Amino acid sequence: MDYIYSVIILVGLFVILASSFNLIIGYGGLISIAHPIFYGLGAYTSALLARDLGLPIPLSILAGVLMATVLSIAMALPALRISGDYLLIASIGFQLGMIELIKNLRFTGGASGVSGIPAFLVPTFGREAYVALVIVAAIGVVLLVRWIAHSDYGRAISAMRDDEQAFAALGRDAKWIKVSLFALGSGIAGFAGALYAHYFRFVTSEQFEILMSATILTMVVVGGLKTPWGPVVGAILLQSLPQAITFLNLPPVILGPLQGLLFTGLVLIFMFLRPGGLVQAGNTWRAHGSGRGGD
Amino acid sequence: MLEIKGLSKSFGGIVVADNVDLVMRQGRILGLIGPNGAGKTSLFNLVSGLYPANGGTVALDGSPLDGLALHERARRGLARTWQHVRLFPSLSVIDNIIIGARLYPAESLVTLMFGRSKIRSAAESARKRALDILARIGLPDAADKSIGDLPYGQQKLVGVARALMNDARCLLLDEPMAGVEGQAYETMQRVVRDVAASGVAVCVVEHNVAFIHDLCDEAVFMFQGRIMARGSVAELIANPELTELYFGH
Repeated sequence: MDYIYSVIILVGLFVILASSFNLIIGYGGLISIAHPIFYGLGAYTSALLARDLGLPIPLSILAGVLMATVLSIAMALPALRISGDYLLIASIGFQLGMIELIKNLRFTGGASGVSGIPAFLVPTFGREAYVALVIVAAIGVVLLVRWIAHSDYGRAISAMRDDEQAFAALGRDAKWIKVSLFALGSGIAGFAGALYAHYFRFVTSEQFEILMSATILTMVVVGGLKTPWGPVVGAILLQSLPQAITFLNLPPVILGPLQGLLFTGLVLIFMFLRPGGLVQAGNTWRAHGSGRGGD
Repeated sequence: MLEIKGLSKSFGGIVVADNVDLVMRQGRILGLIGPNGAGKTSLFNLVSGLYPANGGTVALDGSPLDGLALHERARRGLARTWQHVRLFPSLSVIDNIIIGARLYPAESLVTLMFGRSKIRSAAESARKRALDILARIGLPDAADKSIGDLPYGQQKLVGVARALMNDARCLLLDEPMAGVEGQAYETMQRVVRDVAASGVAVCVVEHNVAFIHDLCDEAVFMFQGRIMARGSVAELIANPELTELYFGH
Protein backbone atom coordinates (compact mmCIF):
# COMPACT_ATOMS: atom_id res chain seq x y z
CA MET A 1 0.00 0.00 0.00
CA ASP A 2 2.89 2.35 0.80
CA TYR A 3 4.09 1.97 -2.77
CA ILE A 4 0.71 2.98 -4.15
CA TYR A 5 0.65 6.00 -1.84
CA SER A 6 4.09 6.97 -3.11
CA VAL A 7 2.94 6.69 -6.72
CA ILE A 8 -0.17 8.79 -6.01
CA ILE A 9 1.96 11.41 -4.30
CA LEU A 10 4.44 11.50 -7.17
CA VAL A 11 1.60 11.80 -9.69
CA GLY A 12 0.13 14.65 -7.63
CA LEU A 13 3.49 16.42 -7.46
CA PHE A 14 3.97 16.04 -11.21
CA VAL A 15 0.48 17.45 -11.77
CA ILE A 16 1.61 20.51 -9.78
CA LEU A 17 4.91 20.71 -11.66
CA ALA A 18 3.33 20.28 -15.10
CA SER A 19 0.54 22.77 -14.34
CA SER A 20 2.99 25.40 -13.11
CA PHE A 21 5.28 24.79 -16.07
CA ASN A 22 2.27 25.16 -18.38
CA LEU A 23 1.73 28.59 -16.86
CA ILE A 24 5.25 29.57 -17.91
CA ILE A 25 5.71 27.84 -21.24
CA GLY A 26 2.13 27.34 -22.39
CA TYR A 27 0.30 30.47 -21.34
CA GLY A 28 3.31 32.77 -21.13
CA GLY A 29 5.25 31.40 -24.10
CA LEU A 30 8.43 31.66 -22.00
CA ILE A 31 11.05 29.03 -22.67
CA SER A 32 12.84 27.86 -19.54
CA ILE A 33 14.39 24.57 -18.54
CA ALA A 34 15.04 25.55 -14.92
CA HIS A 35 11.79 24.17 -13.52
CA PRO A 36 13.52 21.19 -11.82
CA ILE A 37 15.89 23.44 -9.89
CA PHE A 38 13.02 25.53 -8.50
CA TYR A 39 11.40 22.25 -7.49
CA GLY A 40 14.71 21.36 -5.85
CA LEU A 41 15.14 24.75 -4.18
CA GLY A 42 11.74 24.36 -2.54
CA ALA A 43 12.68 20.87 -1.38
CA TYR A 44 16.12 21.79 -0.02
CA THR A 45 15.00 25.03 1.64
CA SER A 46 12.09 23.44 3.43
CA ALA A 47 14.08 20.35 4.37
CA LEU A 48 17.05 22.26 5.82
CA LEU A 49 14.98 24.84 7.68
CA ALA A 50 12.82 22.17 9.28
CA ARG A 51 15.69 19.79 10.08
CA ASP A 52 18.54 22.11 11.05
CA LEU A 53 16.70 25.15 12.44
CA GLY A 54 13.63 23.40 13.78
CA LEU A 55 11.25 25.69 11.91
CA PRO A 56 7.64 24.44 11.96
CA ILE A 57 7.05 22.51 8.74
CA PRO A 58 4.23 24.71 7.36
CA LEU A 59 6.59 27.69 7.71
CA SER A 60 9.44 25.73 6.12
CA ILE A 61 7.20 24.90 3.17
CA LEU A 62 6.29 28.57 2.86
CA ALA A 63 10.00 29.46 2.98
CA GLY A 64 10.64 26.93 0.20
CA VAL A 65 8.01 28.63 -1.95
CA LEU A 66 9.51 32.05 -1.21
CA MET A 67 13.05 30.89 -1.98
CA ALA A 68 11.99 29.52 -5.37
CA THR A 69 9.98 32.67 -6.10
CA VAL A 70 12.70 35.14 -5.12
CA LEU A 71 15.47 33.31 -6.98
CA SER A 72 13.29 32.96 -10.07
CA ILE A 73 12.78 36.74 -10.07
CA ALA A 74 16.52 37.27 -9.62
CA MET A 75 17.16 34.98 -12.57
CA ALA A 76 14.41 36.22 -14.88
CA LEU A 77 14.68 39.96 -14.31
CA PRO A 78 18.02 40.59 -16.05
CA ALA A 79 17.25 38.03 -18.78
CA LEU A 80 13.82 39.42 -19.61
CA ARG A 81 15.11 42.99 -19.73
CA ILE A 82 16.72 41.97 -22.99
CA SER A 83 14.42 39.40 -24.61
CA GLY A 84 12.61 36.16 -23.97
CA ASP A 85 15.36 34.18 -25.71
CA TYR A 86 17.79 35.15 -22.97
CA LEU A 87 15.52 33.49 -20.42
CA LEU A 88 16.33 30.13 -21.98
CA ILE A 89 20.06 30.82 -21.81
CA ALA A 90 19.82 32.13 -18.26
CA SER A 91 17.71 29.14 -17.22
CA ILE A 92 20.31 26.68 -18.52
CA GLY A 93 23.06 28.47 -16.61
CA PHE A 94 20.97 28.77 -13.48
CA GLN A 95 19.88 25.12 -13.56
CA LEU A 96 23.40 23.78 -14.07
CA GLY A 97 25.04 26.28 -11.72
CA MET A 98 22.65 25.73 -8.84
CA ILE A 99 22.96 21.94 -9.11
CA GLU A 100 26.74 22.26 -8.88
CA LEU A 101 26.41 24.63 -5.94
CA ILE A 102 24.12 22.23 -4.09
CA LYS A 103 26.52 19.36 -4.80
CA ASN A 104 29.46 21.26 -3.39
CA LEU A 105 28.08 23.01 -0.34
CA ARG A 106 28.47 21.37 3.04
CA PHE A 107 25.17 22.50 4.54
CA THR A 108 23.21 21.03 1.62
CA GLY A 109 24.83 17.66 2.25
CA GLY A 110 26.89 17.83 -0.94
CA ALA A 111 26.46 14.93 -3.35
CA SER A 112 25.07 12.76 -0.54
CA GLY A 113 22.00 14.94 -0.23
CA VAL A 114 19.86 15.68 2.82
CA SER A 115 18.43 12.84 4.86
CA GLY A 116 16.44 12.71 8.07
CA ILE A 117 14.05 15.39 6.90
CA PRO A 118 11.20 15.79 9.41
CA ALA A 119 8.01 14.12 8.25
CA PHE A 120 4.82 16.13 7.98
CA LEU A 121 1.34 14.81 8.88
CA VAL A 122 2.34 11.15 8.46
CA PRO A 123 3.46 10.48 12.09
CA THR A 124 0.22 11.90 13.48
CA PHE A 125 -2.41 11.18 10.85
CA GLY A 126 -0.88 8.44 8.69
CA ARG A 127 0.14 8.32 5.05
CA GLU A 128 -3.44 8.74 3.87
CA ALA A 129 -3.43 12.27 5.25
CA TYR A 130 -0.39 13.19 3.19
CA VAL A 131 -1.94 11.65 0.09
CA ALA A 132 -5.02 13.78 0.73
CA LEU A 133 -2.84 16.87 1.23
CA VAL A 134 -1.05 16.36 -2.08
CA ILE A 135 -4.30 15.69 -3.95
CA VAL A 136 -5.88 18.84 -2.49
CA ALA A 137 -2.73 20.82 -3.33
CA ALA A 138 -2.73 19.50 -6.90
CA ILE A 139 -6.40 20.32 -7.40
CA GLY A 140 -5.81 23.74 -5.85
CA VAL A 141 -2.93 24.48 -8.22
CA VAL A 142 -4.90 23.36 -11.28
CA LEU A 143 -7.86 25.54 -10.27
CA LEU A 144 -5.50 28.46 -9.59
CA VAL A 145 -3.96 28.10 -13.06
CA ARG A 146 -7.43 27.90 -14.61
CA TRP A 147 -8.58 30.97 -12.68
CA ILE A 148 -5.52 32.96 -13.70
CA ALA A 149 -5.74 31.86 -17.34
CA HIS A 150 -9.33 33.08 -17.65
CA SER A 151 -8.90 36.27 -15.65
CA ASP A 152 -8.04 39.71 -17.04
CA TYR A 153 -4.42 38.88 -16.25
CA GLY A 154 -4.81 35.76 -18.43
CA ARG A 155 -6.14 37.90 -21.25
CA ALA A 156 -3.09 40.14 -20.95
CA ILE A 157 -0.82 37.09 -21.05
CA SER A 158 -2.56 35.83 -24.21
CA ALA A 159 -2.17 39.19 -25.90
CA MET A 160 1.48 39.46 -24.87
CA ARG A 161 2.17 36.01 -26.26
CA ASP A 162 0.46 36.91 -29.56
CA ASP A 163 2.37 40.15 -30.18
CA GLU A 164 4.60 41.66 -27.53
CA GLN A 165 5.22 44.99 -29.31
CA ALA A 166 1.55 45.61 -30.07
CA PHE A 167 0.83 44.71 -26.44
CA ALA A 168 3.43 47.19 -25.17
CA ALA A 169 2.03 49.88 -27.46
CA LEU A 170 -1.18 49.66 -25.41
CA GLY A 171 0.69 50.79 -22.29
CA ARG A 172 1.47 47.33 -20.93
CA ASP A 173 4.84 46.44 -19.46
CA ALA A 174 5.40 42.98 -20.92
CA LYS A 175 8.58 42.50 -18.88
CA TRP A 176 6.75 42.62 -15.52
CA ILE A 177 4.00 40.36 -16.72
CA LYS A 178 6.61 37.83 -17.81
CA VAL A 179 8.57 38.12 -14.57
CA SER A 180 5.45 37.77 -12.41
CA LEU A 181 4.27 34.76 -14.40
CA PHE A 182 7.68 33.13 -14.21
CA ALA A 183 7.91 33.79 -10.48
CA LEU A 184 4.45 32.38 -9.86
CA GLY A 185 5.17 29.21 -11.84
CA SER A 186 8.55 28.75 -10.15
CA GLY A 187 7.11 29.40 -6.70
CA ILE A 188 4.52 26.67 -7.29
CA ALA A 189 7.34 24.32 -8.35
CA GLY A 190 9.07 25.16 -5.05
CA PHE A 191 5.85 24.25 -3.24
CA ALA A 192 5.85 20.83 -4.95
CA GLY A 193 9.49 20.35 -3.92
CA ALA A 194 8.74 21.13 -0.29
CA LEU A 195 5.85 18.64 -0.31
CA TYR A 196 8.20 16.05 -1.80
CA ALA A 197 10.84 16.58 0.86
CA HIS A 198 8.56 16.10 3.86
CA TYR A 199 7.09 12.85 2.56
CA PHE A 200 10.11 11.06 1.07
CA ARG A 201 12.41 12.63 3.73
CA PHE A 202 15.50 12.44 1.55
CA VAL A 203 16.61 14.75 -1.22
CA THR A 204 19.66 14.72 -3.41
CA SER A 205 20.72 16.96 -6.26
CA GLU A 206 20.36 14.11 -8.77
CA GLN A 207 16.60 14.26 -8.37
CA PHE A 208 16.49 17.77 -9.81
CA GLU A 209 18.78 17.38 -12.81
CA ILE A 210 18.19 19.13 -16.14
CA LEU A 211 16.69 16.01 -17.77
CA MET A 212 13.70 16.32 -15.49
CA SER A 213 12.61 19.42 -17.41
CA ALA A 214 12.21 17.19 -20.49
CA THR A 215 9.89 14.93 -18.51
CA ILE A 216 7.77 17.85 -17.29
CA LEU A 217 7.72 19.44 -20.74
CA THR A 218 6.60 16.14 -22.27
CA MET A 219 3.73 15.93 -19.79
CA VAL A 220 2.62 19.44 -20.69
CA VAL A 221 2.91 18.99 -24.46
CA VAL A 222 1.33 15.52 -24.57
CA GLY A 223 -1.45 16.62 -22.22
CA GLY A 224 -2.09 19.90 -24.01
CA LEU A 225 -0.42 23.30 -23.80
CA LYS A 226 -2.51 26.30 -22.73
CA THR A 227 -5.20 24.18 -21.13
CA PRO A 228 -5.64 23.80 -17.36
CA TRP A 229 -6.49 20.10 -17.64
CA GLY A 230 -3.96 19.02 -20.29
CA PRO A 231 -0.95 18.85 -17.95
CA VAL A 232 -3.09 16.93 -15.44
CA VAL A 233 -3.86 14.26 -18.03
CA GLY A 234 -0.23 14.26 -19.22
CA ALA A 235 1.17 13.92 -15.71
CA ILE A 236 -1.24 11.17 -14.68
CA LEU A 237 -0.67 9.08 -17.81
CA LEU A 238 3.07 9.51 -18.16
CA GLN A 239 3.83 9.14 -14.47
CA SER A 240 1.43 6.38 -13.50
CA LEU A 241 1.48 4.02 -16.51
CA PRO A 242 5.25 3.36 -16.42
CA GLN A 243 4.92 2.83 -12.65
CA ALA A 244 2.12 0.31 -13.15
CA ILE A 245 4.45 -2.30 -14.65
CA THR A 246 6.38 -2.56 -11.38
CA PHE A 247 3.61 -4.93 -10.32
CA LEU A 248 4.95 -7.41 -12.89
CA ASN A 249 7.84 -8.05 -10.48
CA LEU A 250 10.45 -7.88 -13.21
CA PRO A 251 14.14 -7.72 -12.30
CA PRO A 252 15.40 -4.11 -11.94
CA VAL A 253 17.74 -4.52 -14.92
CA ILE A 254 14.70 -5.03 -17.14
CA LEU A 255 12.20 -2.85 -15.30
CA GLY A 256 14.15 0.42 -15.58
CA PRO A 257 14.67 0.35 -19.36
CA LEU A 258 11.13 -0.98 -19.88
CA GLN A 259 9.68 1.99 -17.98
CA GLY A 260 11.73 4.32 -20.16
CA LEU A 261 10.53 2.56 -23.30
CA LEU A 262 6.92 2.69 -22.11
CA PHE A 263 7.23 6.43 -21.42
CA THR A 264 8.72 7.06 -24.86
CA GLY A 265 6.22 4.77 -26.57
CA LEU A 266 3.28 6.53 -24.92
CA VAL A 267 4.65 9.91 -25.99
CA LEU A 268 5.02 8.74 -29.59
CA ILE A 269 1.53 7.25 -29.68
CA PHE A 270 -0.09 10.33 -28.17
CA MET A 271 1.84 12.70 -30.41
CA PHE A 272 0.81 10.68 -33.46
CA LEU A 273 -2.85 10.40 -32.52
CA ARG A 274 -3.31 13.83 -30.90
CA PRO A 275 -0.54 16.17 -32.08
CA GLY A 276 -2.28 19.16 -30.47
CA GLY A 277 -2.32 17.44 -27.08
CA LEU A 278 -4.80 15.11 -25.43
CA VAL A 279 -6.77 18.11 -24.18
CA GLN A 280 -6.85 20.76 -26.89
CA ALA A 281 -7.01 24.48 -26.22
CA GLY A 282 -9.74 26.62 -27.79
CA ASN A 283 -8.63 29.10 -30.44
CA THR A 284 -9.98 32.13 -28.63
CA TRP A 285 -9.40 33.24 -25.05
CA ARG A 286 -12.55 33.39 -22.96
CA ALA A 287 -13.17 35.02 -19.62
CA HIS A 288 -14.61 33.22 -16.61
CA GLY A 289 -18.32 32.64 -16.92
CA SER A 290 -18.48 33.41 -20.62
CA GLY A 291 -19.98 29.94 -21.03
CA ARG A 292 -18.23 29.25 -24.30
CA GLY A 293 -15.48 26.94 -23.26
CA GLY A 294 -12.08 27.92 -24.42
CA ASP A 295 -10.18 25.88 -21.91
CA MET B 1 -0.16 68.76 -28.72
CA LEU B 2 2.72 66.57 -29.86
CA GLU B 3 5.91 68.44 -30.60
CA ILE B 4 8.83 66.86 -32.42
CA LYS B 5 12.13 68.76 -32.61
CA GLY B 6 15.24 67.73 -34.51
CA LEU B 7 14.37 64.02 -34.45
CA SER B 8 17.02 61.91 -36.15
CA LYS B 9 17.56 58.24 -36.73
CA SER B 10 19.67 56.15 -39.04
CA PHE B 11 20.20 52.43 -39.43
CA GLY B 12 23.78 52.14 -40.60
CA GLY B 13 23.91 54.36 -43.66
CA ILE B 14 20.15 54.55 -44.13
CA VAL B 15 18.65 57.71 -42.71
CA VAL B 16 15.00 57.28 -41.76
CA ALA B 17 14.60 60.57 -39.89
CA ASP B 18 16.74 63.57 -40.68
CA ASN B 19 16.33 66.40 -38.19
CA VAL B 20 12.52 66.24 -38.30
CA ASP B 21 10.53 69.11 -36.79
CA LEU B 22 6.80 68.58 -36.62
CA VAL B 23 3.85 69.71 -34.53
CA MET B 24 0.57 67.81 -34.23
CA ARG B 25 -2.11 70.06 -32.77
CA GLN B 26 -5.04 69.19 -30.55
CA GLY B 27 -8.26 68.65 -32.50
CA ARG B 28 -6.49 68.68 -35.88
CA ILE B 29 -5.85 65.88 -38.37
CA LEU B 30 -2.43 65.96 -39.95
CA GLY B 31 -1.70 63.84 -43.01
CA LEU B 32 1.76 62.39 -43.54
CA ILE B 33 2.41 61.53 -47.17
CA GLY B 34 5.38 60.52 -49.23
CA PRO B 35 6.66 57.62 -51.34
CA ASN B 36 7.52 54.21 -49.94
CA GLY B 37 10.69 54.39 -47.86
CA ALA B 38 10.24 58.11 -47.10
CA GLY B 39 10.38 57.41 -43.36
CA LYS B 40 6.70 57.87 -42.44
CA THR B 41 6.25 54.65 -40.50
CA SER B 42 9.75 55.01 -39.08
CA LEU B 43 8.74 58.41 -37.74
CA PHE B 44 5.76 56.79 -36.00
CA ASN B 45 8.07 54.11 -34.63
CA LEU B 46 10.42 56.74 -33.25
CA VAL B 47 7.68 58.90 -31.77
CA SER B 48 5.91 55.94 -30.17
CA GLY B 49 9.17 54.66 -28.67
CA LEU B 50 9.54 51.47 -30.69
CA TYR B 51 12.99 52.61 -31.79
CA PRO B 52 15.27 54.86 -29.78
CA ALA B 53 16.13 58.07 -31.62
CA ASN B 54 19.72 59.11 -32.32
CA GLY B 55 18.85 62.70 -31.49
CA GLY B 56 16.04 65.18 -31.03
CA THR B 57 13.11 65.44 -28.67
CA VAL B 58 9.46 64.45 -28.55
CA ALA B 59 7.05 66.10 -26.11
CA LEU B 60 3.37 65.47 -25.46
CA ASP B 61 1.51 68.49 -24.08
CA GLY B 62 4.85 69.88 -22.92
CA SER B 63 6.05 66.70 -21.16
CA PRO B 64 9.14 65.18 -22.75
CA LEU B 65 8.81 61.54 -23.83
CA ASP B 66 12.49 61.07 -24.61
CA GLY B 67 14.02 57.92 -23.17
CA LEU B 68 10.63 56.44 -22.35
CA ALA B 69 9.82 52.94 -23.59
CA LEU B 70 6.94 52.09 -25.90
CA HIS B 71 4.57 51.16 -23.04
CA GLU B 72 5.49 54.24 -21.01
CA ARG B 73 4.67 56.57 -23.90
CA ALA B 74 1.35 54.81 -24.41
CA ARG B 75 0.58 55.33 -20.73
CA ARG B 76 1.23 59.04 -21.16
CA GLY B 77 -1.50 59.15 -23.80
CA LEU B 78 0.18 58.35 -27.10
CA ALA B 79 -1.78 55.74 -29.05
CA ARG B 80 -0.93 54.20 -32.39
CA THR B 81 -2.15 51.69 -34.93
CA TRP B 82 -0.06 49.50 -37.18
CA GLN B 83 0.23 49.19 -40.92
CA HIS B 84 -0.47 45.44 -40.70
CA VAL B 85 -3.21 45.66 -38.04
CA ARG B 86 -1.42 43.49 -35.43
CA LEU B 87 -4.52 42.49 -33.53
CA PHE B 88 -4.30 39.63 -31.04
CA PRO B 89 -5.56 36.50 -32.83
CA SER B 90 -6.17 34.57 -29.62
CA LEU B 91 -8.62 37.21 -28.35
CA SER B 92 -12.17 37.89 -29.46
CA VAL B 93 -13.07 41.23 -31.04
CA ILE B 94 -14.35 42.72 -27.76
CA ASP B 95 -11.29 41.55 -25.83
CA ASN B 96 -9.00 43.05 -28.47
CA ILE B 97 -10.67 46.38 -27.73
CA ILE B 98 -10.91 46.06 -23.95
CA ILE B 99 -7.19 45.40 -23.72
CA GLY B 100 -6.56 48.80 -25.29
CA ALA B 101 -7.53 50.59 -22.07
CA ARG B 102 -4.20 52.00 -21.01
CA LEU B 103 -4.71 52.33 -17.25
CA TYR B 104 -6.71 49.15 -16.76
CA PRO B 105 -5.95 48.00 -13.21
CA ALA B 106 -7.08 44.39 -13.43
CA GLU B 107 -4.04 42.88 -15.08
CA SER B 108 -1.69 42.92 -12.13
CA LEU B 109 -1.26 39.60 -10.37
CA VAL B 110 -1.42 41.39 -7.02
CA THR B 111 -4.69 43.14 -7.90
CA LEU B 112 -6.01 39.85 -9.23
CA MET B 113 -5.33 38.19 -5.87
CA PHE B 114 -6.37 40.98 -3.52
CA GLY B 115 -8.44 43.56 -5.38
CA ARG B 116 -11.50 41.73 -6.63
CA SER B 117 -13.97 44.59 -6.21
CA LYS B 118 -11.64 47.00 -8.01
CA ILE B 119 -11.34 44.51 -10.86
CA ARG B 120 -15.07 43.97 -11.14
CA SER B 121 -15.94 47.64 -11.55
CA ALA B 122 -13.01 48.23 -13.94
CA ALA B 123 -14.00 45.22 -16.04
CA GLU B 124 -17.62 46.33 -16.24
CA SER B 125 -16.81 49.88 -17.28
CA ALA B 126 -14.16 48.72 -19.80
CA ARG B 127 -16.60 46.29 -21.41
CA LYS B 128 -19.32 48.95 -21.60
CA ARG B 129 -16.89 51.36 -23.23
CA ALA B 130 -15.61 48.77 -25.65
CA LEU B 131 -19.19 47.98 -26.71
CA ASP B 132 -19.84 51.71 -27.24
CA ILE B 133 -16.75 51.97 -29.43
CA LEU B 134 -17.76 48.85 -31.36
CA ALA B 135 -21.12 50.49 -32.06
CA ARG B 136 -19.33 53.67 -33.19
CA ILE B 137 -17.28 51.72 -35.72
CA GLY B 138 -20.41 50.00 -36.98
CA LEU B 139 -19.67 46.53 -35.65
CA PRO B 140 -22.09 46.17 -32.73
CA ASP B 141 -22.68 42.48 -33.41
CA ALA B 142 -19.05 41.49 -33.79
CA ALA B 143 -18.14 41.53 -30.08
CA ASP B 144 -17.79 37.80 -29.56
CA LYS B 145 -16.41 36.92 -32.96
CA SER B 146 -12.84 35.76 -33.48
CA ILE B 147 -10.60 38.28 -35.15
CA GLY B 148 -9.94 35.87 -38.02
CA ASP B 149 -13.66 35.79 -38.83
CA LEU B 150 -13.69 39.49 -39.74
CA PRO B 151 -12.85 40.81 -43.22
CA TYR B 152 -9.60 42.77 -43.40
CA GLY B 153 -11.31 46.17 -43.57
CA GLN B 154 -13.21 45.46 -40.37
CA GLN B 155 -10.02 44.27 -38.71
CA LYS B 156 -8.53 47.68 -39.53
CA LEU B 157 -11.50 49.32 -37.84
CA VAL B 158 -11.01 47.13 -34.76
CA GLY B 159 -7.35 48.21 -34.73
CA VAL B 160 -8.48 51.83 -34.58
CA ALA B 161 -11.10 50.94 -31.95
CA ARG B 162 -8.39 49.38 -29.81
CA ALA B 163 -6.34 52.58 -30.03
CA LEU B 164 -9.41 54.63 -29.08
CA MET B 165 -9.70 52.72 -25.79
CA ASN B 166 -6.42 54.38 -24.81
CA ASP B 167 -8.15 57.76 -24.25
CA ALA B 168 -5.10 59.17 -25.96
CA ARG B 169 -4.19 62.80 -26.38
CA CYS B 170 -2.38 61.96 -29.60
CA LEU B 171 -3.32 59.24 -32.08
CA LEU B 172 -0.98 57.96 -34.80
CA LEU B 173 -2.76 56.03 -37.55
CA ASP B 174 -0.46 54.02 -39.81
CA GLU B 175 -2.13 53.39 -43.19
CA PRO B 176 -5.63 52.90 -41.77
CA MET B 177 -7.13 52.63 -45.25
CA ALA B 178 -4.82 49.98 -46.73
CA GLY B 179 -7.13 47.16 -47.78
CA VAL B 180 -10.26 49.00 -46.61
CA GLU B 181 -13.19 49.36 -49.01
CA GLY B 182 -16.89 50.17 -49.11
CA GLN B 183 -18.74 50.90 -45.89
CA ALA B 184 -15.59 50.61 -43.77
CA TYR B 185 -14.08 53.52 -45.75
CA GLU B 186 -16.82 55.96 -44.70
CA THR B 187 -16.87 54.59 -41.17
CA MET B 188 -13.12 55.11 -40.84
CA GLN B 189 -13.41 58.74 -41.98
CA ARG B 190 -16.27 59.44 -39.58
CA VAL B 191 -14.49 57.79 -36.64
CA VAL B 192 -11.24 59.69 -37.22
CA ARG B 193 -13.10 62.99 -37.55
CA ASP B 194 -14.99 62.32 -34.31
CA VAL B 195 -11.77 61.52 -32.49
CA ALA B 196 -10.16 64.76 -33.64
CA ALA B 197 -13.31 66.71 -32.76
CA SER B 198 -13.01 65.40 -29.20
CA GLY B 199 -9.69 67.26 -28.87
CA VAL B 200 -7.18 64.58 -29.84
CA ALA B 201 -4.20 65.39 -32.06
CA VAL B 202 -4.37 62.93 -34.97
CA CYS B 203 -1.69 62.10 -37.50
CA VAL B 204 -2.41 59.79 -40.45
CA VAL B 205 0.12 58.06 -42.68
CA GLU B 206 -1.70 57.08 -45.83
CA HIS B 207 -1.03 56.32 -49.49
CA ASN B 208 -4.67 56.89 -50.35
CA VAL B 209 -4.39 60.57 -51.27
CA ALA B 210 -8.16 60.91 -51.73
CA PHE B 211 -8.65 59.81 -48.15
CA ILE B 212 -6.04 62.27 -46.89
CA HIS B 213 -7.58 65.00 -49.04
CA ASP B 214 -11.06 64.40 -47.66
CA LEU B 215 -9.98 64.01 -44.06
CA CYS B 216 -6.95 66.06 -43.16
CA ASP B 217 -6.79 69.71 -42.18
CA GLU B 218 -3.25 69.85 -43.52
CA ALA B 219 -0.44 67.52 -44.52
CA VAL B 220 3.30 67.21 -44.63
CA PHE B 221 5.34 65.60 -47.37
CA MET B 222 8.23 63.35 -46.33
CA PHE B 223 11.09 62.17 -48.49
CA GLN B 224 14.27 60.34 -47.42
CA GLY B 225 13.56 61.02 -43.75
CA ARG B 226 13.04 64.75 -44.20
CA ILE B 227 9.97 66.97 -44.10
CA MET B 228 9.98 68.56 -47.56
CA ALA B 229 6.80 70.65 -47.38
CA ARG B 230 3.79 71.41 -45.25
CA GLY B 231 0.43 72.81 -46.34
CA SER B 232 -3.03 71.87 -47.43
CA VAL B 233 -3.31 68.53 -49.22
CA ALA B 234 -4.45 70.34 -52.39
CA GLU B 235 -1.32 72.52 -52.30
CA LEU B 236 0.98 69.53 -51.86
CA ILE B 237 -0.68 67.58 -54.66
CA ALA B 238 -0.40 70.58 -56.96
CA ASN B 239 3.31 70.97 -56.31
CA PRO B 240 5.13 69.47 -59.35
CA GLU B 241 8.43 68.99 -57.45
CA LEU B 242 6.70 66.87 -54.82
CA THR B 243 4.82 64.92 -57.47
CA GLU B 244 8.13 64.16 -59.11
CA LEU B 245 9.60 62.99 -55.81
CA TYR B 246 6.52 60.88 -55.15
CA PHE B 247 6.30 59.19 -58.53
CA GLY B 248 9.95 59.45 -59.51
CA HIS B 249 9.31 61.19 -62.85
